[in-house]
Amino acid sequence: MLTSRRLLSALGSRLSAFPLLVVAASSLIAQRPPKAESREPIADSTAFYRALDLEGAGKHREAAALFRKSLHGATAVSALLGLERAYHELQWTDSLLVPLDSLIRQDPREQVYRSVLLRSLQTLGRDAELRAAFERWLQDVPRNPAPYREYARLLLQRGQALRADSVLLRARTQLGGTGDFQLELAQTRAAMGQWEESAAAWRVALGSAAYLEQAAAYALTPAPTTIRDAIRNQFFAPPVLVAARRALATLEAAWGSPANGWLALRDLPPDSASAAAWLDFAQRAEAEERWTHAREALSSVLRYRRSSDVALRAAVAALNSGDPGGALALAPLTMGSVTAARAPGAPEAPTSVSFDSARVARTLLPVHVRALAALGRPATAERLVASYDRWLTPTNRATLARSIAFGWVRIGDMTRARGALTVAGPDADSSDAAGWLALYAGDLKTARRLLRTGGDASPELALALAMIARVTLDSSPALGQAFLLLARGDTAGAATAMVETSERIPDVASVLLYTAGELRLSLRDEARAIPLWQRVVEQYASSAEAPAAELQWARALRRQGDTGAAVRRLEHLILTYPQSALVPQARRDLELVRNSIPGIP
Amino acid sequence: MSARLIAVSLMTASAARAQQLLLPMDDGQQNHLKAYGLTYTALKAGMKAEWLLNYRGGAFLLPDTPELRRRAGLDGITVEVADAGQVSLIRGEIANSNMDAIPLEKAPRIAVYTPPDAPPWDDAVTLALKYAGIEYAPIYDEEVQRGDLSKYDWLHLHHEDFTGQLNKFHLGYRDTPWFIDLVQKNTVTARRLGFQNIPALKKGVAENIRLFVERGGFIFAMCGATETLELAIAGSGVDIAGAFADGSPTDDNADAKMNWKRSFAFHEARLEQSPFVNSMSNIDGHQVNVPGRRQPLGAFTLFNFSAKFDPVAAMLVQDHRSVISDFYGVTTSFSKTTLKPGVIVLAFEEGAPWVKYVHGDYGKGTWTYYGGHDPEDPQHAIGNPPTDLSLHKGSPGYRLILNNVLFPAAKKKPLKT
Repeated sequence: MLTSRRLLSALGSRLSAFPLLVVAASSLIAQRPPKAESREPIADSTAFYRALDLEGAGKHREAAALFRKSLHGATAVSALLGLERAYHELQWTDSLLVPLDSLIRQDPREQVYRSVLLRSLQTLGRDAELRAAFERWLQDVPRNPAPYREYARLLLQRGQALRADSVLLRARTQLGGTGDFQLELAQTRAAMGQWEESAAAWRVALGSAAYLEQAAAYALTPAPTTIRDAIRNQFFAPPVLVAARRALATLEAAWGSPANGWLALRDLPPDSASAAAWLDFAQRAEAEERWTHAREALSSVLRYRRSSDVALRAAVAALNSGDPGGALALAPLTMGSVTAARAPGAPEAPTSVSFDSARVARTLLPVHVRALAALGRPATAERLVASYDRWLTPTNRATLARSIAFGWVRIGDMTRARGALTVAGPDADSSDAAGWLALYAGDLKTARRLLRTGGDASPELALALAMIARVTLDSSPALGQAFLLLARGDTAGAATAMVETSERIPDVASVLLYTAGELRLSLRDEARAIPLWQRVVEQYASSAEAPAAELQWARALRRQGDTGAAVRRLEHLILTYPQSALVPQARRDLELVRNSIPGIP
Repeated sequence: MSARLIAVSLMTASAARAQQLLLPMDDGQQNHLKAYGLTYTALKAGMKAEWLLNYRGGAFLLPDTPELRRRAGLDGITVEVADAGQVSLIRGEIANSNMDAIPLEKAPRIAVYTPPDAPPWDDAVTLALKYAGIEYAPIYDEEVQRGDLSKYDWLHLHHEDFTGQLNKFHLGYRDTPWFIDLVQKNTVTARRLGFQNIPALKKGVAENIRLFVERGGFIFAMCGATETLELAIAGSGVDIAGAFADGSPTDDNADAKMNWKRSFAFHEARLEQSPFVNSMSNIDGHQVNVPGRRQPLGAFTLFNFSAKFDPVAAMLVQDHRSVISDFYGVTTSFSKTTLKPGVIVLAFEEGAPWVKYVHGDYGKGTWTYYGGHDPEDPQHAIGNPPTDLSLHKGSPGYRLILNNVLFPAAKKKPLKT
């Protein structure tokens, strides 16, 4: 059975060529929500807020009635938007047309009424009426850019980029420019695949509306690789526009190159907007453990404005990026005792950075101790810790002792390393740090027991556990020495030691040789790495490391340009170890080498 | 060697000969696309194969040789070893169902009509051939005009615009370097081959393709090549190209002058004569590049043919899915109203006024049209990254392409319906 609403709706759509009849029919529709038009003496603002509550509770029918009551009071615009939402939920958008008609007659210059009308007509799919509404709006406000903007946006939402482009062209002709339409122009150009033009428009739009940076990045993300340099040029063009650079940094991240993102930001002039951009970038870099970029971004902030928190974060980033010296310089322990210099152009007063000793012990000291240990200066670290001892908790002290112990390990003094741990208290002998020291000393039995309990999930621990779990010996100074060299940062020495040890401990020969090859690769010494992987494949073909070694061997051959040999290795891997988890990777490498799929081999 | 050992060896060898490799093509197959390549490799090496229509998704039966096993292992293709008894059971099941075993005898000689400097990644067929490891020869206008088509059994066409209007890309790309280069190269080729302009050159090429089919060739076209080949053939004596392409406006009476008797698949289509509307005719049902006319994508359904009575059509629709997501192209689909009577509809969209995949005979040859650009990239746009088929090893849409590649290898039976 057709309800009266459906009947009238159908009637309205069929009579669209007869506006008067449509209005009459629509008036009938408007009466349908029961008692909605009654003029009860209820304050319109009260009704409006009750409507919001009902809407929040999902009671759209009841909310709609109260929004309608509020349409002619002080909350008319908000009430109309609420009514639009409620009717949309109820799929009664056509019922909005009548109140809109009267609202527009009352106030023809109110843009929200017109926008809602256009949106409603679009939702209803009434293209001819939509266009007519746009034209009527233009007639009422001929020099106003809003009608063009709203209509173009709607067309873009429907994927009609060419029509949107025509509307904007008309606006340019009528209004003498496109200054008010840069956002729409940018979106239109992007939708039409005119990426460079879109980027140019986005740049202009960002000049007046910095908040659009995410929208710009989102719109330009699908741009093909070949056109990206042109987009970069638009955003890099002088004068420097911080919002454009921020958008480009986001875009570069979306294109898979956060490093290029930093290039977009690093030469910004030091001011508050740039500092905010650097901080945002640093936060992302820290979350993604891109420590070099985080350090650079935070250092840029510090050049504009000193801040103890930022200095500490910069120091941690420097330390994690392998620059302990930089860490010490970025966050000196004396930071609190000197007046921070005011950066040129910094508008605000220098930030107070006074640190009390307790805070230094809690924040700066661990960073300094780690840095000093990494620099091979554990004695200095010990003295430093002693000077702050009264402000340290037992937990702090144990953590610092572990860092100092690794500092002694780094310079090869195992006795003092053990001594450093003892200082931490009675639990030191059962810690994972003690397990490492046992391993370095070749005491595999103790190392096996202590390292298994370690909470650290580092790759180093996984490697150590993989080795000592497979060794049946309880003691192997040679193996300990190999790990010790690795801990001391002597990668080449560790690789050599592992190869030598492989002769003595057949249980783990394959993993030692494979790891030695990986270490050689990290030193970019493929010439020495390849024979090690080859030995694993040829002498320890049934070991767990053999497929991994063969994959690395094939990749090295491919990098050297020996495609034929790389193919032979990959084929051998796939056919010899069909159950290996590395077979999918090997197949993909094989496809790339054979040029069977797009990509760079 | 003792006599007993010799006897055992002979028995083993005999058993090995009796064994065959079954390549299932249902969900048990790990790499459907490479399975076609393995079958092609077997044929290329002079072996015989069988295509088991409607049996386990259109399985293949190949000889059990070390080289084929090796290749299957390398490519991750699922193979099952079937002894004589198992093969006999399979044949019994085929005999009693809507299935058939089609012998495949000879690897077809494959050509792809593509510009000489085009990478293989912007054409679904070359992507599929490359991935499956099937050899093909790229040929273009010069080779076609030289008569080289006679060297091949099977020809593929993709997004070439045989009306010579370069897909009306001048609308959006006239100032882009790649489009300027495209116009320049085609113009130079046209002059070198004795044609006045690009539309004349492409009509000449289209005519040679028509003759190739008439004389017994197989063509498989996708995307815009389907529609424009038809328009070029039917409009061979009519000016159907806009002034931007050949310097003269289209013939006002072009629709009436089209000779649809010469074309393969369509008739009574109306040309889109406006140079500002990015469409060629009303053959395409989706009109993807025309704002206001663009139709949304749905899904198309493969027709279920009788394997025993319509083996050719059945071969072309072998798949492990019968309903496949649609995908856009310059020409996405074919309006039913423009299809000639007698055209075999292989895939259609339920309730839609268009079809997706059609086939027919012409002279001694056959043609197959598959609308859309890339089955795994539904809204491909110029400059988009190419599809990596190693991520779509079981693509049902791509399987339809490879069905066409192997179909000429079949020892065909007469069409009975």
